[in-house]
Amino acid sequence: MKGRVALSVLGILLAVCSCRNNPGKAGEFILVNADSIAASANPGTESVEEIYRNLSSPLEIANLFQVMGVPFSPAYLASSVDANEQTTSFQKALYLGILGADLGYLNMYEKTGTAIELVSSIKKLADGLNLGQYFDFETIKRVSLNKLNIDSLLFLSVDSYSRMDEYLRKNNRSQLSAIMVVGVWLEAQYFSTQVVRQYPNNLLRERIGEQKYFLDDLIRIISPYCEYDREFTAMCGYLSNIASRYENVKITYSKGEPSSSEKDGRLVVTQTETSMVEMTDEQLDQIIEITGIIRNKLISN
Amino acid sequence: MLLVPAFSVLCGQTQNDPLVSTCLQSTGPGAKYLKDFRIQLGLGTSQDLFRYKANMSLWKNTRYRFTLCTAENSKGRLILNIQDDANNVVLSSVDGKTGTVYTYVDLICNRSGIYQIYFDFTEGQSGSGVSIVSMVQ
Repeated sequence: MKGRVALSVLGILLAVCSCRNNPGKAGEFILVNADSIAASANPGTESVEEIYRNLSSPLEIANLFQVMGVPFSPAYLASSVDANEQTTSFQKALYLGILGADLGYLNMYEKTGTAIELVSSIKKLADGLNLGQYFDFETIKRVSLNKLNIDSLLFLSVDSYSRMDEYLRKNNRSQLSAIMVVGVWLEAQYFSTQVVRQYPNNLLRERIGEQKYFLDDLIRIISPYCEYDREFTAMCGYLSNIASRYENVKITYSKGEPSSSEKDGRLVVTQTETSMVEMTDEQLDQIIEITGIIRNKLISN
Repeated sequence: MLLVPAFSVLCGQTQNDPLVSTCLQSTGPGAKYLKDFRIQLGLGTSQDLFRYKANMSLWKNTRYRFTLCTAENSKGRLILNIQDDANNVVLSSVDGKTGTVYTYVDLICNRSGIYQIYFDFTEGQSGSGVSIVSMVQ
């Protein structure tokens, strides 16, 4: 009987360890470090995962730029970030998020050659957080260099980030997952606000306004860690500052039934229900300004 | 005796999973990868309820393509149902009148928000599958 119980426990452990088919080397141990905090201090990993899924993807933002006909610009990238100079886990996680958004932007514009240096920096930051085994550096590098299928590259990049995020959340390092997600969002928000200033466009303007809801979620992710240390406290202050600029932005909806048709064997559904953003030029200007100030301050540290 | 749960969320596939690779290649020209869902379900007890649920934000003025790929050894075909935050059905990959099961579903989204994405296999059967969400320009 004891043998059966032991086998069952072993089976469960193996199932858990093999979940997501961990690409880490067999027998490799990852030491629990000072970044680990008590599970009781974390918000539920499932709720954080939900929020993570719901944040505006930098890929969707870059896709919108392409729909608008906005040309690629390296000026939006956080090129001043040096992966060798980051000392704290907070900085590494934050820059991992920021550079992840940059990678998404480069990939969407198929600037895969330019992305190699960025991918190397991401790998260094990931290694610095003991996450290197989740970032599929060699495959991403090979696909980028050979200019293979861009869809595969997008998949590999997103999948690597999802694995890193999942690992952090499931190993009592949710505060670093939260800060990485903040980095992704902040950089995507920076792209949007810089582009809308240069190329005024109603679609992008609405997208910026719609971030109001997701900013609330972001604040919910990070709020349990606001007293964690000085860096987290500062970040909570920055996000509150951005949220205050959104206070009077309104989002309204009009009702409608979806219509569907079939085209080339595909079902095509068009929503007639719409969402609308009410945001003044002054409110937008304030959002652009505060986003730029905070993002540039964070990457110059 | 091993108790195999009727509902289980797949957690063991990687980018090396041939089904993911095949599915990625079948999204069609102009489609750019955004997210994927990997689903593995046992035999269900009800044919009406979708057993795999996830939330996802969808953005106005974006055309999303959901490509539904079913593993060969599955008993049923992977199907999709999307509902808005008020539980109104926005789309279903199964045509209720003709019974047609679509592998590709495009949603032209005009209302930004968080949507509930449901997956199951036809008739509550067991199966494994992948759904790739792409953006189409």
